[in-house]
Amino acid sequence: MKVKYIHIIGIVLAAFYGVFIVFLYAAEPRSLEEVTTKAKTAVENTVTKGQVLTGTYEIDKARFDEGLAAFRMNNFVVARDRFERADPEKRDANTQFYIAYSYYRQGWGRVSNDDSLFKAGLESLQRLPIIDPDFASKDPDLQIKTAAELRNEFEEGLKVTADDFNPFKLVRERK
Amino acid sequence: MAETQNRSKDVELEVIDVIEDAEIVDVDDDPVTVVSAKQIGPGRSLQEISPESRERTRAIRLYIFLPLIFLTSALLGGLRLASPDGAFVFVTPALVCLLFAAILMVLFVRGGMISIDGWFSDDLTTSNNIANGMVLASAFAATAQAFNSLLPETGLPFWVVAFCFAWSLWNNLFADFDNKKLLRSMVALFAFAFIAKYVVLAGLTAPAGETGWLRSMIENPARETMTWLLELPRYTAGTGYIQFFCLALYLGGLYLLPRSANTK
Repeated sequence: MKVKYIHIIGIVLAAFYGVFIVFLYAAEPRSLEEVTTKAKTAVENTVTKGQVLTGTYEIDKARFDEGLAAFRMNNFVVARDRFERADPEKRDANTQFYIAYSYYRQGWGRVSNDDSLFKAGLESLQRLPIIDPDFASKDPDLQIKTAAELRNEFEEGLKVTADDFNPFKLVRERK
Repeated sequence: MAETQNRSKDVELEVIDVIEDAEIVDVDDDPVTVVSAKQIGPGRSLQEISPESRERTRAIRLYIFLPLIFLTSALLGGLRLASPDGAFVFVTPALVCLLFAAILMVLFVRGGMISIDGWFSDDLTTSNNIANGMVLASAFAATAQAFNSLLPETGLPFWVVAFCFAWSLWNNLFADFDNKKLLRSMVALFAFAFIAKYVVLAGLTAPAGETGWLRSMIENPARETMTWLLELPRYTAGTGYIQFFCLALYLGGLYLLPRSANTK
């Protein structure tokens, strides 16, 4: 074997080993079993980031469908979990809209709304205009179709006004 | 006198006989001349290896084994085993460890342990220069992690030991020494710091238990107090063994590190 090849093997080996060490110190696994789990997660994240860079990023359709099913059964915590896992890079407007909507539906109350969930919803909704400013949902089950309408619902829900004491509010319906 | 001359002539003739009996063996398509291992005197064999083969062996040692040694040392330098479950704890090096490592690398150059001209040169190929850089980078990483291994993690002991290191390194920067003296002084310094951290301070640390603070104080008041006062982390005994191995590897790597990568 030529010495030049040994140089190249040495460079590649040292580079890989160095990256592995940096990964270990960044991931901080607590056992040997955790090394595998964390390595798998790191590889998945790297692949997703690579897909974003190359413009081939797509959401996980299966997880999105699971999330949608949970959303329709009013199981919003599970729905959000599935939506977030379906779109780890938070780049799909439709999925992000469902996440924000799930906060609205979970936080909505006939007498009073859950302020913390509404604030979380408002925060998650901020991503949507960045991804797609003209987004409009095509889901016929949703009465709120755009980010602006949803934001208005959140903001109105968070305000305390004289209208809140209107007894007719008790007959209103969740959108 | 004449008898001595005759004897030396006889020895010369024996050597010539041995060389005449030599075989030429090709190994891996490279011309490697191996003289058959005939005994020349008690316990000695005559074996010659071609310069190419020797260069290859040297390159494998320098560019594959040395980085592996240093990087393994760098990997282990920040590894601790938490007490009582033995879970891995990866301690990233403090900034001061990088500073100490940089000063020590300067000392290696000053002391003649590393010759920059021998590692980087326009006469070498790009791959050779990069490979040399990798070796030195891995040596630097291992040095930083050696300090990370020896410095206590937090509290007063960290500052005391860091001050001792800083004092020694600063003095060495202005002292006259050669590479052997530097290596010896480093071994002594590291051994002292190792004993301070993994024998003395570890001995003062109370074992981690799930019995509660009050019970620990009643059972082990002195060690609990010292642990609290000195902010000593609780690690299992295995940590000391790992760090001993790490430092041995690091010092072994330094011993194998040549002054210059260039043989010409």
